[in-house]
Amino acid sequence: MIEKTAAPATKVAEGRSLFLKGDSVPIALLPFFAFVTFFLLWPISDVLIKSLKGNSGEWTLSNFEPMTHGIYLTAFQTSIELGLITAFIGAVVGAFFAFVIENYAGRKLTAVLDSISAVFANSGGVPLAFMFIASFGANSAVIRILRGMGLDLYANGFSLFSLTGVAFVYSFFQIPLMVLVFKPALKGLRKEWREASMSLGGSNWDFIRRIAVPVLFPSFFGSMLLLFAGGFSAYATARAMTVGNVPLVPLIIGTLVDGNVIANKANQGAALAVGMILVAVIAMTGYVWAQRTTSKWQAR
Amino acid sequence: MKGKLGKYSAISVTIFISLMLFVVPLFSAAEYSFRGSYGQGHDFTNYLWIIQQDGFLAHLLLSVELGALAGALNLILMVPTITMLHLTHQRFRPIVDLICILPLMIPVVSLAIGAEVSMPSFLQNSQYELVFFFVILALPFTYRVLDTSFGSIPLKTLVEASRSLGASWLSTILRIILPGAKGGITAALFLSFALAIGEFTITQLLHWDTFPVWTVNASQQNILGAIALSVFSFIFAVVLLGVIAFTSSSRSKKEIVVEEGA
Repeated sequence: MIEKTAAPATKVAEGRSLFLKGDSVPIALLPFFAFVTFFLLWPISDVLIKSLKGNSGEWTLSNFEPMTHGIYLTAFQTSIELGLITAFIGAVVGAFFAFVIENYAGRKLTAVLDSISAVFANSGGVPLAFMFIASFGANSAVIRILRGMGLDLYANGFSLFSLTGVAFVYSFFQIPLMVLVFKPALKGLRKEWREASMSLGGSNWDFIRRIAVPVLFPSFFGSMLLLFAGGFSAYATARAMTVGNVPLVPLIIGTLVDGNVIANKANQGAALAVGMILVAVIAMTGYVWAQRTTSKWQAR
Repeated sequence: MKGKLGKYSAISVTIFISLMLFVVPLFSAAEYSFRGSYGQGHDFTNYLWIIQQDGFLAHLLLSVELGALAGALNLILMVPTITMLHLTHQRFRPIVDLICILPLMIPVVSLAIGAEVSMPSFLQNSQYELVFFFVILALPFTYRVLDTSFGSIPLKTLVEASRSLGASWLSTILRIILPGAKGGITAALFLSFALAIGEFTITQLLHWDTFPVWTVNASQQNILGAIALSVFSFIFAVVLLGVIAFTSSSRSKKEIVVEEGA
């Protein structure tokens, strides 16, 4: 009841606010907004505030200072590098897969492959790490067979427990994720456009260069940003795989939280968390923007 | 001729990469998990080892319980919300859209730190606090699934009919909306369940001990056992997600046809 009487007042005060036209504050939507405020928005704002507070509660930027050099800077660089590598591999291979599925797979096979992609794209986590340790660890069947054929990967500097190794494991979910998010865009590439291009005398290459690439680029780039954000912030797989020999920001935050942390280190963890949010939000804003651009094309 | 050649080479490259990256790991992990003691022969040693470990069942059950609660809470929260978004509160769509993509934007590690600094202690002292965060993490996926599914039925007509015949909101939701969007709702339920039972990051950072966390700890004693556990969890997840994919794709289409015919 209180909400109902309060609503018109805000309406008058704010004029054209979110609460337009004679509708009270939507009581039906209240549980949702209350829930996300308490369990999503509040924790995030709180971590932001903590990151800006010193040991005695004063406002300061000093928590961010360690990120400009040393191990924390290295960690951010390594995490961003990991995100970029896995996003690039995932995007290129995934786009290629999406193209092949879209063009050459029948309707039934496409449906099956879509489901498989959805499953694999969500499979990141602890089991994935152990499965790859089993498959490509120094003692695994694959490595043994390759060694038998005279190719000793581990003697040549490959290790699953390195940046390259982690990037390799991540492609297990990055490629299917790319298939999942990029295939709808491929579908938006109308057959008529190819025909139109052909009938105007354009070659296959003309079509790719002047129609397909410009139309698909925003979606491709946007999907790559989504993959980047995923690879940049993934924790479980890396945590289960590495024993601290690859310095990644999520892992460092994990160790800060793990050890019974003294107060000033807690603010440090908050600052690192905010740093991660910044990087991820920049990438994801690009993704959302690219999605909008793409849907404009598809609406026509 | 050239087109055909391109087609076949593209397909073979795809198949080759998929084999190397997806099929080989699955099979070799399965092979590894059946290796006998001291790596001799193949038997069920590692699987037996898992089951005999202290806490196997307890942790598994805890994860299933938390997953079920998260699935239920997700539906209780989202079904009315999305119904309202479709019926009368369309203008809130942009905000809800944005909020529901936030869990994808915010790194889970950061959310975990946020939870640790902000949640009141009575919540932090209960493992059920995880349920709320599992719901948050599943939000982007369940929102999209439910939204699509609700958009594909003539929701407005159905609800108006039900309401004008004197049904209450509760019975409208239970008897009209739930059956109408069954495919999407099952999918959302399974999705949030699957996500919750596999969740590691928030759980571990908030110092709770669910099945995935227990797996990692167990691996420190016996890597073969941990691999067997992972194969077990992965197959479980694949079956579960396969069910989701199946119900949400085949089911909802049939239902729309029925609705339109009726």
